[in-house]
Amino acid sequence: MGQAAATSVGLGMPNMPVALIPGHPGSQSLQELRANVRNVTAAHVIENLLQQPTEHQLEPEPSARDIVFRGTFEEVNAHFYEREWSDGLPIVPPTLEKIEEFLKFTDRAPEESLGILLPENRAATIRAVAANGVMAGCRPEYMPILVALIEAMADPTYGVEHSGNTPGSDTLIVLNGPIIKDLKFNYTQGVLREGFIANTSVGRFWRLALRNMAGFLPHKNDKATFGNTFRVVLAENEDALAKIGWPPNSVDMGFSAGDNTVTISRMTGGGVMPSVTGSTPEQMLPYLADGVAKQTGWEMVFTVGGLSFGTLRPVLVLSPILAETIARAGWSKRDVKRYLYEHARTPAWRVEAFTEKWLDFRIGSLERQVNLGRLPKAFHESNDPNRLVPIVLDPEDFVVLVSGDPLRTNAYAFAQNGYLGFPVAKRIRLPKGWAQRVDRPGR
Amino acid sequence: MVKKSNGDGLYEVIWPRGERKQALRPLAKRLDTLEGKTVAQLWDYLFAGDEVFATLEETLRAQYPGIKFVSWREFGSTHAVNEKELLASLPQRFKELGVDAAISSMAC
Repeated sequence: MGQAAATSVGLGMPNMPVALIPGHPGSQSLQELRANVRNVTAAHVIENLLQQPTEHQLEPEPSARDIVFRGTFEEVNAHFYEREWSDGLPIVPPTLEKIEEFLKFTDRAPEESLGILLPENRAATIRAVAANGVMAGCRPEYMPILVALIEAMADPTYGVEHSGNTPGSDTLIVLNGPIIKDLKFNYTQGVLREGFIANTSVGRFWRLALRNMAGFLPHKNDKATFGNTFRVVLAENEDALAKIGWPPNSVDMGFSAGDNTVTISRMTGGGVMPSVTGSTPEQMLPYLADGVAKQTGWEMVFTVGGLSFGTLRPVLVLSPILAETIARAGWSKRDVKRYLYEHARTPAWRVEAFTEKWLDFRIGSLERQVNLGRLPKAFHESNDPNRLVPIVLDPEDFVVLVSGDPLRTNAYAFAQNGYLGFPVAKRIRLPKGWAQRVDRPGR
Repeated sequence: MVKKSNGDGLYEVIWPRGERKQALRPLAKRLDTLEGKTVAQLWDYLFAGDEVFATLEETLRAQYPGIKFVSWREFGSTHAVNEKELLASLPQRFKELGVDAAISSMAC
């Protein structure tokens, strides 16, 4: 109910009437559910269809440059926390002067909007980007990355409106290009650990932007059952990639090698595959394929039609030494993806259990979907329920990244949230005079 | 350290949100009765909505025998990869189907 009430404000209909079903349908027997609908919901529905809701007014809001509060550091933090503009950690006060420092690192006008962000239908202005960047503890020179991130957030392909869904998925931000070194992002050991101002503050910015710019608040529009803390930015190790001749993620996303890009994608979870052993791809990849396949469970509904066909984009992160060992045998990144397609598989019975029994995302059966031409034949090569089927529709649906401790033979697999946070990449546009304004290594 | 807005040790801060671009939209006029009216069902194919709509139909028909329903099957899932296109098509679809009101379900 809280979500419906909060969402209806963003849609311009704060008085949209809602009918209630007591409890959750998923935990009720059919008899209990029917009784609840008969005895409670039906009366609400009739009332909502016949009784005109009273008109509501939206509270007036401050303008972009209005000073909304004046106080000490502690008072500012208390003010922001009480109004749900903060994530609970101390924020850097977004003063006009501090915001101005950020605005100097973009050639775009402060009032320019990068798009409209659901669910609150708010303009994603450059000034609001800067304000949230200040609050997150970013440095002014991170501003080009922050702008690109919000451009990606506003891209309908990503589907920001799903960011409050109950699985509580969180975004993985992947950074590519010379900007990694320009701004001293960590791309080696502990790449997903906080402790590096660039990786950490930009990751925090993302969640503050979801809160303040899009409008996702826990107990309101953010319905994550559990949720988790923000992910710090994963910067790829482009030195390692260049050494083995593999393209960086930016090229996979349609850009040129050497372009500065951000890529966003929502991940439902992930896990590490430690101590990969072997000196050839054939010795190493079975373990990696097993790890990738194990991460993807219910998310199969994004591949086989439960919620969509073929929108799942699982991610495998290889440490540099793993990637180098695989490449040394002449394997390309495309070869790795092909191997994953053929070996990161899951039993057919398990997929059908997710769609037909454990969840309510019914497809009938994999056989039916193959017969209808919606799935390739690989999903029904026999009637054996133990047969293994792919977890994606195409080898290129896998994302392979290289980062982390260069000399550890560990890998990491992310499960992804399909079209409810589909991968989107944007070019990072640098302001004039960038090279002179950052402390570029070797300059 | 952030430069304070003035010399008194206090910070003057701005609002970190963007301008709301969606104006208030008036809700459709409610019906005076459900008798003889056509009610569309919109479903996101989650949480036993098919059972909920079946029970709602039965209960509402007991009170309004002349009520007509356009099944959720007519529209497809409102929570699928083509949801934006589907929602955009609804005004025209409702006109074609003579829909007087709609029930959209299932939130969670």
